[in-house]
Amino acid sequence: MEGPNKSVIIEITNLYKKYPKSKVNSLNNINFCVFKGEKVGFFGPNGAGKTTFISLLCALFEPSNGTIKFTLNNQHFSPKAFRKHIGFVPQEFAFYEELTAYQNLSYFGALYEIPSDILKEKINTLLSKLGLSHVKNAKLTTFSGGMKRRINLAIGLLNEPEILFLDEPTVGVDIQSKTAIFSLLNELNAEGTTIVYTSHHLKEAEDFCNRIALIDAGSIIACDKLENLLIENNVPDLEQLLLTLTGNQLRD
Amino acid sequence: MKQLLASIKKEFFILLNDKVGLALLFIMPVLLVLIITIVQDSAFKVVNENKFSLLIVNKDAGDYGDSLISLLEKSGNFELTIKNNTKKFDFSKETLANKQLFGIYIPVNFSANLTGSAALLSQTMLSAFGAIEEEPIKTVQRNQPLEVVYDPILQENIRFTFSSSLATILKGLENKIVLESLFKEMDFREIPAEIRKQISHQSWIKESIAQENKTAVLPNSTQHNVPAWTIFAMFFMVISLGGNIVKERNAGSFIRMQTIPSAFIAAVYSKIFVFFIVALLQILLLFAMGRFLFPIIGLPVLTINSSILALVLFSVLAAFSAISYAMCVGTYAKTQEQSNGFGAVSIIIFAAIGGIWVPTFVMPDYMQSIALISPLHWCLDGYYILFLKNGGWKDLIAPISYLLTFSSICQLLMLLKLKKQHYI
Repeated sequence: MEGPNKSVIIEITNLYKKYPKSKVNSLNNINFCVFKGEKVGFFGPNGAGKTTFISLLCALFEPSNGTIKFTLNNQHFSPKAFRKHIGFVPQEFAFYEELTAYQNLSYFGALYEIPSDILKEKINTLLSKLGLSHVKNAKLTTFSGGMKRRINLAIGLLNEPEILFLDEPTVGVDIQSKTAIFSLLNELNAEGTTIVYTSHHLKEAEDFCNRIALIDAGSIIACDKLENLLIENNVPDLEQLLLTLTGNQLRD
Repeated sequence: MKQLLASIKKEFFILLNDKVGLALLFIMPVLLVLIITIVQDSAFKVVNENKFSLLIVNKDAGDYGDSLISLLEKSGNFELTIKNNTKKFDFSKETLANKQLFGIYIPVNFSANLTGSAALLSQTMLSAFGAIEEEPIKTVQRNQPLEVVYDPILQENIRFTFSSSLATILKGLENKIVLESLFKEMDFREIPAEIRKQISHQSWIKESIAQENKTAVLPNSTQHNVPAWTIFAMFFMVISLGGNIVKERNAGSFIRMQTIPSAFIAAVYSKIFVFFIVALLQILLLFAMGRFLFPIIGLPVLTINSSILALVLFSVLAAFSAISYAMCVGTYAKTQEQSNGFGAVSIIIFAAIGGIWVPTFVMPDYMQSIALISPLHWCLDGYYILFLKNGGWKDLIAPISYLLTFSSICQLLMLLKLKKQHYI
């Protein structure tokens, strides 16, 4: 499948996901494509199925029904093989606070089996771009929330991923850290990295994403460019769009 | 390999940064082994080497009260304080006031009672042999028995030891008097010297330790406590290792590793490797303490007479069991509190039922059966075979089989859980 000048990296067809102990499906009949080089954002209320969807896109587990195809440069990949080409930045601080920034990046870089000399250079570049060079030998316990977010992102970028998954990458950070993070993400995207993003910060999503998908009750209820969705639903912004399409009812 | 080496390096860094964890892994067992061995060694010496402090009030009108005191003194088991002026009413109070563990009040007619009793017995015997024609005296009234008091803090076993010693000495005195009476009835002035010599040299007991071969290792507080608390320390790594797994999973590192091929398995093996080194260091440290430090501070030396190869391989298996248990607990616990709480309590229970504190042979039968479920019991059993019984491979079959089964079950449960959580 080809989008406007873009090839499909992940193609999802008739996908269902049901957890063993759950009575209902977490995802229902999802059909979706991730195109190379785009910045696509997933939004929806709590419990809508965003995390499950992202996990399936990351090939972390298999769907109950339906298919997911992973393709890069016209070559198909198994889920396991595809993982080498993704970067994942979870909402949690997925690193070791007892270690220094450099030790953390060295460790995760070694897990990606990056040769030592290249890894050293890469770490220094990332730390410099994220404004953390001066604290590279400090333990992460001494870092502020914003600095930790930046390290979390740096680890996800070590393997120069073709596609980067970001789950709430700017929770609890100040405007300076947020600017640094988005500046780097835009730079990477301009270089060809595909970005899949989810957040509750709708204003920043409006500026960052070039395609929006709204998820509710395990289904994709809308997916298009933001301006198209706003015109179609006659609302001024993403926040109103979300409320219009998912309602005001409180979610568990 | 690169992933494994990086993960091992990371685990070492984390461990070295965890000061509390290191203290639990190394300082706690050192203190436990040291303190408990000193305490148990002192208790052992109270019974076996030290003398019981004993207050004696001798009101005996005859000579046998003094004979009894002399025998007590000769036995070497008692430190005597004699206060003959003490009244019977104050005797108990006086024992405590003088910080004596025991007190003996010898009544005024002690000699008369013994003499009367001996005369009755000798006359009855001679009458039975037909050596005398007269009827023996029918009864002797013991209206004032020997009174013994003891410090209320004394343990039952120490009281029993004292009572046994006293009863043996009294029985010896009684026998001597009976013999004297017998010879007197037969018109001898005293017991012939040859007979007296033979009686005093008779011994029908030869004690030795049951063991697999002839190399003697005396059981003592060191031979029990060093292996026992080393095992406890190894299994107590559930706090560090179990907590480490929960923390890593809850922080999200496991999820990140899921996206990196083979990284998770490398992380699991690196934990096994690093904590295996920790367990071996614990064994080395504590055994070295028993071997080299204990004799310097007056404690019994740790004697290792068994095959070093058997000892090393059994220690490796014991360490692997402890690691497997810790990893299983860490995998199933949802929070660090759960892992630490359940881990610590379960190890304390396993230690209690497994004979780490009190040997299982003093427990009731049903507790001895329950002890068989404790991995710590089987580890200790293996070390007993190696340290005390000088056993070999054949004797180690039961503990080795149990520990292999236990470790396999823990590893299997851990892998099933990780599989279910899509980590592997």
